[in-house]
Parts: sequence; C-alpha cells; structure tokens
Amino acid sequence: MKKDKIRLFLISLITITVLATAAIYSFIIVSEEEVTLGSLIPIIIPLIVIGFMFFFITRRYKDIKQGMPLEDERSRKVITLAAAKSFYVSLYWLLAISWFEGFFANKLFGLDKLDASQTVGGGIAGMALLFFAFWFYYDRKGKLI
Amino acid sequence: MKNRIKEFRAKYDLTQEDLARKVGVRRETIVFLEKGKYNPSLELASKVAKALKTTINDLFIF
Repeated sequence: MKKDKIRLFLISLITITVLATAAIYSFIIVSEEEVTLGSLIPIIIPLIVIGFMFFFITRRYKDIKQGMPLEDERSRKVITLAAAKSFYVSLYWLLAISWFEGFFANKLFGLDKLDASQTVGGGIAGMALLFFAFWFYYDRKGKLI
Repeated sequence: MKNRIKEFRAKYDLTQEDLARKVGVRRETIVFLEKGKYNPSLELASKVAKALKTTINDLFIF
C-alpha cells in the first residue's frame, strides 16, 4: 500500500512538472510569436496527456483511500492490451499524416507545410489519444480477449 | 466463465469491496469476475476460492 502511494505521488509529480513546462512554453509562444494552430501543437499534446493523467490520478487516489491496490492483474492486462492496440492503429495514423501532410498543413493549421516537430507532435498526440480511447474501452468492456 | 462468486459472497455476507480487499485486487476485477466477463489467472482463482472458503472446482463452473 505504501509502495502504491509513493508511485501515485511520483506520477502526480511528473504530471505537475509536465503541466508547468507546458505553461512556461505557452507563455513564451504567446509573448514571442504569432499564435497559429501549428504552434499550439506542443501545448495541446501535454494538455491531452495531463487530462488523461488527471483522470487516472483522481480515480486511483480514491481507490487507494478505500484500501484497493493501484493496479492488479486485470488492470495490467488492460494497459498492455491498450498499448498494443494503440501502437498498431497509430501506424495507420502516422501513414495518414505522411500521405495527407499537405491537407493537415493547409486546411487544418493554415501553414505551407508541417515542420518535423509538428509532424512528430501530431503523431504523439494521436498515439496518446488512441491509447486513452483503447484504455477507456477495455477498462469498461470486461472481456479482454 | 460462469461462477458462483456472488452466491458464496452472499453466504459470508461480503461486499464486492470486502472481497476485493481480501484478495488484493481492484473492485472492478471482482465485478467482471462475477459477471463471468473476466477469466482470472490460476493464482487469482485460487485466492478468490480461499477467501470464500471453497475450492476452485466448486467456485467456477467449467
């Protein structure tokens, strides 16, 4: 139980650090550059991750208070399955980004083309979203295989 | 997998949370186990059977 509390504390600490970094970065972006959707990608990604972590931390904190473990064999299976599926589906997402790079750049972000950090950021954001979606689905589905 | 966890739990007047704490798993795991929507490992099946003072063969319907 003490181990679980320490783990949850470390996860919270990392989330706060990411949040602080995203806040500093967004302050720099807003004060120095013209704000475009493309320049906001490095802010959107940590926000997605933080949103997911906030949901995860509050749920797990309640469980620990009730004397439940942070994870068990089922939750480990759910995470493994969600990670495997999100990796598999994200390959198609990465392919879509490379094929429709022009569409994403021009129509969505109003840019000539996406630079490396925007492309990688979009890929990571897609993977994070897919992982969250799969985790949410399998955590509620019951039958894991 | 069908099982008699709910029946045994009622027999010993245990809530799903009580059983989860005894076995050392999360409450959702007990919920899905009872519904037959999660097939436990042999170790977990054995722990649940022990917590409900019965055997795996009596608890799970194969």
